Amino acid sequence: MLEPSGREPAVQNHGTEPTHGGRDEGKEKKQKKSSIAKASNAENSSQSLSALQVFSIHMICGLGLAIALWMAHNLYSINVISDPSCTLRLIWVSLSLSLDFVVLFFLYEFVCSPSSDCRESNRHTSLQLVSTQSSTVLVLESCGRGILALPVGALVNALGAIVLGAPVGIEYLPKTINWSLLMSSFMFVPAASVFGSSSSHWQRIFAHTKPNESLEYMICIPAHGALIGAWFGAWPMPLDWERPWQDWPICVTYGAITGYLVAMVVSLGFALVHGGRQHLKRD
Amino acid sequence: MTSTTTSFTKFTFFTVAALVFQITGLSLFVFGFFPVKPALSGVSGWESFFAPGCHSVENQSQTQMEMGLSPYELKSLYQDLSLIPPLFDRLILMVIDGLPAEFVLGKDGQPPRKDLMDAMPYTHSLLSSGMAIGYHAKAAPPTVTMPRLKAMVSGAIGGFLDVAFNFNTQALLDDNLLGQFLRIGWKMVMLGDETWLKLFPGLFVRHDGVSSFFVKDTVQVDKNVSRHLENELSRDDWNLLVLHYLGLDHVGHIGGRSSSLMGPKLLEMDEVVKMIHLSTIQTHDNDRGRTLLVVVSDHGMTESGNHGGSSYEETDSLALFIGLKNQVSISHYASATHNSILQVDIAPTLALLYGVPIPKNNVGVLISGTFDCLTDHQQLRALELNSWQLYRLVEAQLPGLSCGDFSCSGFIDDLGSGSGECSGSMEKILRCLFMNAANLHNSWKYKKETGFESREDYRSTVTAYHEFLKTASEWLSRRVTDKPVPLLAFGVVAMALSCLIFLGLITCMSREVYTGEKQHLSGSSNSKIRWCLDEAFILGVVLILVMSMGSSSMVEEEQYIWNFVISTLYLLLLRKAVQSHSGRSGSALFLKAQNKRSDFQLCAIFLLLISGRILRGWHQGGVNWTHLPDISKWLEQAGSNLIRSIQLTSGLLMMGLGLFALFLFVTNTKLVRVVALFFLISGFLVLWHIMEYQDNEFVSSDYHATLLAQIIYATLGVGTIGFVVALPWLMPIQISSTYSKHKINSSTLVSVDIQYKFPLLEFRDSSYLIGLAYMLCWCLLQLLLQQPINSMPIFLLLMQIFTSMLYYSSSGPQNKEWLEVALLYYVGMAGHFALGNSNTLATIDVAGAFIGLSSHSTLLSGILMFIITYTSPMLVLLSMVMYISVKDTSYLAIPQSVDLEQFLKMMLGFPCLVPLGLNSILLTAYTVVLLLMRNHLFVWSVFSPKYLYVCTTTVCIYIGVFVVAATEIYIYMVIAFRSKIQVSISNGIL
Repeated sequence: MLEPSGREPAVQNHGTEPTHGGRDEGKEKKQKKSSIAKASNAENSSQSLSALQVFSIHMICGLGLAIALWMAHNLYSINVISDPSCTLRLIWVSLSLSLDFVVLFFLYEFVCSPSSDCRESNRHTSLQLVSTQSSTVLVLESCGRGILALPVGALVNALGAIVLGAPVGIEYLPKTINWSLLMSSFMFVPAASVFGSSSSHWQRIFAHTKPNESLEYMICIPAHGALIGAWFGAWPMPLDWERPWQDWPICVTYGAITGYLVAMVVSLGFALVHGGRQHLKRD
Repeated sequence: MTSTTTSFTKFTFFTVAALVFQITGLSLFVFGFFPVKPALSGVSGWESFFAPGCHSVENQSQTQMEMGLSPYELKSLYQDLSLIPPLFDRLILMVIDGLPAEFVLGKDGQPPRKDLMDAMPYTHSLLSSGMAIGYHAKAAPPTVTMPRLKAMVSGAIGGFLDVAFNFNTQALLDDNLLGQFLRIGWKMVMLGDETWLKLFPGLFVRHDGVSSFFVKDTVQVDKNVSRHLENELSRDDWNLLVLHYLGLDHVGHIGGRSSSLMGPKLLEMDEVVKMIHLSTIQTHDNDRGRTLLVVVSDHGMTESGNHGGSSYEETDSLALFIGLKNQVSISHYASATHNSILQVDIAPTLALLYGVPIPKNNVGVLISGTFDCLTDHQQLRALELNSWQLYRLVEAQLPGLSCGDFSCSGFIDDLGSGSGECSGSMEKILRCLFMNAANLHNSWKYKKETGFESREDYRSTVTAYHEFLKTASEWLSRRVTDKPVPLLAFGVVAMALSCLIFLGLITCMSREVYTGEKQHLSGSSNSKIRWCLDEAFILGVVLILVMSMGSSSMVEEEQYIWNFVISTLYLLLLRKAVQSHSGRSGSALFLKAQNKRSDFQLCAIFLLLISGRILRGWHQGGVNWTHLPDISKWLEQAGSNLIRSIQLTSGLLMMGLGLFALFLFVTNTKLVRVVALFFLISGFLVLWHIMEYQDNEFVSSDYHATLLAQIIYATLGVGTIGFVVALPWLMPIQISSTYSKHKINSSTLVSVDIQYKFPLLEFRDSSYLIGLAYMLCWCLLQLLLQQPINSMPIFLLLMQIFTSMLYYSSSGPQNKEWLEVALLYYVGMAGHFALGNSNTLATIDVAGAFIGLSSHSTLLSGILMFIITYTSPMLVLLSMVMYISVKDTSYLAIPQSVDLEQFLKMMLGFPCLVPLGLNSILLTAYTVVLLLMRNHLFVWSVFSPKYLYVCTTTVCIYIGVFVVAATEIYIYMVIAFRSKIQVSISNGIL
């Protein structure tokens, strides 16, 4: 019926001063975006991350997962079934570290250098000419946002899981917390470090599922993959097979990890297709 | 009216046709699938003492011959033929309703708990001294009294529909032990549960039936049995004394297995055993004959004291033989308590012990330990008789079995050593096993005559017989009957047809509505794409449900699915609400309004999610994880005071919510006040009943409580009907004023529409009030009937429905109507499980079904049971009346010049068709699943009870939809009539 994203420019051109957003960047973003958004959009699409970059970023995340699982198996000799809480903790810590690594190095190198373009730099177009030092600050800040988003997203995930029927009880508490932290690092940490608190981006990615370019695809698809995987992962739980992995949150975790991995492949595919199309366009 | 729209009459016609198809199909299927009597006709006579296969021709003459014999002659004839001297002359059958064998014999080789041991000292002394031998007798589901009694006396596993007849007991016409006893002239006395009198009318010379009606009475019901006991034991004019004690079952229903009343009740039962044992069995009184006491229970009970399902706790019933003079003295306590048999084994054992023919449809096998005092020859004879009987039964089901394979004079030793491997088809295996046993027996007999018999031969013969008996018994009990394929096929086809008609109607309807909508909201053409996700999901839910029905554990744990599905749906709606939230706080009025609306929607959905989770956590439910903690267990541990205060709180909250909803409706305060007053009065009556009578659970069958409950029934019933009848007449219609106002303000084109649209406001108001009255009365009734622990879930359900209503009223055309109705339906099903129901028959609340009944009435208690079990689906269906008034459908009515009937169709279409359609899909799918699963191990324990639930849900939907449709049509007609009169009056004045 109503299409907020379609209406967006019209409303902003209406000339209303943004009233919210405590931080300066927020204001700046609003103002700049309204004026530059359209102009930079055409450029945007042609200058998003290349397939190789997408591949390496996903590779690092996958490596983070793999290292966590390897450490759990070989160093601590635990797995998700024998000690869900510890293993989950290991996984989410490792994953968030690798995500931070991604933000620190890749976003620094590709995203925030003046020549490159992504959501981050797009939002700070005015800062494009600012020295690399301040962009380091920006990257550190986005790392901080990611770390901040971890517990907040975990809270959202935990509430969602409980509403969907996850057991409530003291003995389940550590499992639920660790699981939701893992889900948060799948879903919210990347988005938070890139988008910050820009609600329209969040709305577009998570409510409308309308990512625009490869970085957004990279955030959106794995997040949704993990979510859908976890949703499907819950189905074997009521079956009476009496297997240890049917307990909360083991099979849900399996589902989430599987969904995440599949979605990373899909996202890579998107990047390839997208990139190919762009090359065609450019030609 | 455009050509695409179908008229109201046509719609109604198709709906009714689909309903008729469905009902026909369902009844055909039910009667085809659940055989009422999977039985051989006739009664076993003296031909059962001859080998099968050779007397088929003479059967008729034999039965005629038997007719002429006096009972005494028949008895001696049986004795001569059976070659086994009866071990006993008299039988005392003591049935302790609902006693789990675990209480007496322990579990897994462990003796029972200390307190239970102490509660039955005499029985345990009998067991340990070898005077008694006990068995875990596995009962077949459904573990309800009447089918179990039938199984015990006839040895047959009855059809599943016996449960349905449990409240309308009918005489047992099959061949059974009591009938056999009657034929040999026994005099029988029955004291206890009157089910026996209904099963065997006119059979007992003396009887004192007690009713299982007063579930909360645990003392008097057994005193009424025991008071005759001394007298009866001193008399010698009876051969069979049946004692059926109901108290223990009642204790279970009230307080569960670990009720504080359990110990005293067991002690009481032990006293009865002691009394019987001391007075009749131990005193070897020769002129009265030898007496055997058999203590049995018909079924066990779950931890919470219910029964009906097939869990170990429920099927673990007791069979205790006291007075068998075992030569091999079983002094070892453990060996007297470990054995496990089937409940149907009791029938052939008793028949053989008393020298009567084994009932014709028996599938049981004689219990070997009970024949230890017979000679080898007699024991083999007993096995042979049992084998013959089973062989006859198998023969009747497998016609290929007979064909004169053996002659009458004796068995030809055509299988050589007689120990050949048996393989191939079932017929071959059974025949082979039977021939093996018969041959071994013959050779043993021959050797015995010649004096060369060895222990080894005897043992191998016994083993061979047991092998045959076991195989045949298993095969027979598995294969209850052949299914009449054409009947089933026709039933399924009819149901599928009706399902297709419903779906077609819904599609047709939504296409009409959708085109109308598009005309109205022609601005946003891409709206269809945006709505895809939740609509696709709601259709996916149907698919998920259909698929989950094929898995037995998903059927057992259905509550998880419903909760998961509705929570996911709410989350999707949440996503949608966020979508429409514009994210920025624009100053534009339109934006502001929209943001406000979506904020409100977000709040509503959060409330729905949270209350849904609490409802889910209230009862753990299901079968496999019932032991896990949940809110109801936690509250029950906290004590009855807390529960009662919660009950009162939720009653008050419910009334507050009702009043709030009433005064949201502000059009006519006078009418609202009347409704509110009525509602308050009946609410306080219910609260009074709770305060006064519900705390002491043992005396609540007294007169005043019943009277008060009846008053409440009458108030609620009369009030609701009164409102429905009167409200549309009393609702003021301001036609003339509004009409003229509109005439001034708008063009003539609109005013033509207005004439049709006119009653709309009044129609909505009446619907709203009547729907509210329905829901509130229903909830108050449930507050009275449901278990105290369920009062809070009922309030939460009511709140969920109100919140959904508010949400829907704000959503406008954002959600399609069918989506909302389907969501409401799902909420109803989730609520059904949240109230502690499950897909086993054990969770049906029997105790509540007798509140307010002063005399036993199968029909009334059945209705109350239905009301209690289907609280939530019915509440949701009743809320459809309110939904119709709440949902803003004005955008539907504007574009076309709406015909009156068309208007009614638009109003009623989805709220009636969607539940019917969803239910028809589920019903048809489940019917197919049941057909596919007919050979599944759990077909009788999991799938069939679920099917009964599905059928009853169908009935519930019929009733609910009928109420909705009738109410709306009535309101509509009254309002239309009145507006017509008013218009004509005002025209006359003008």
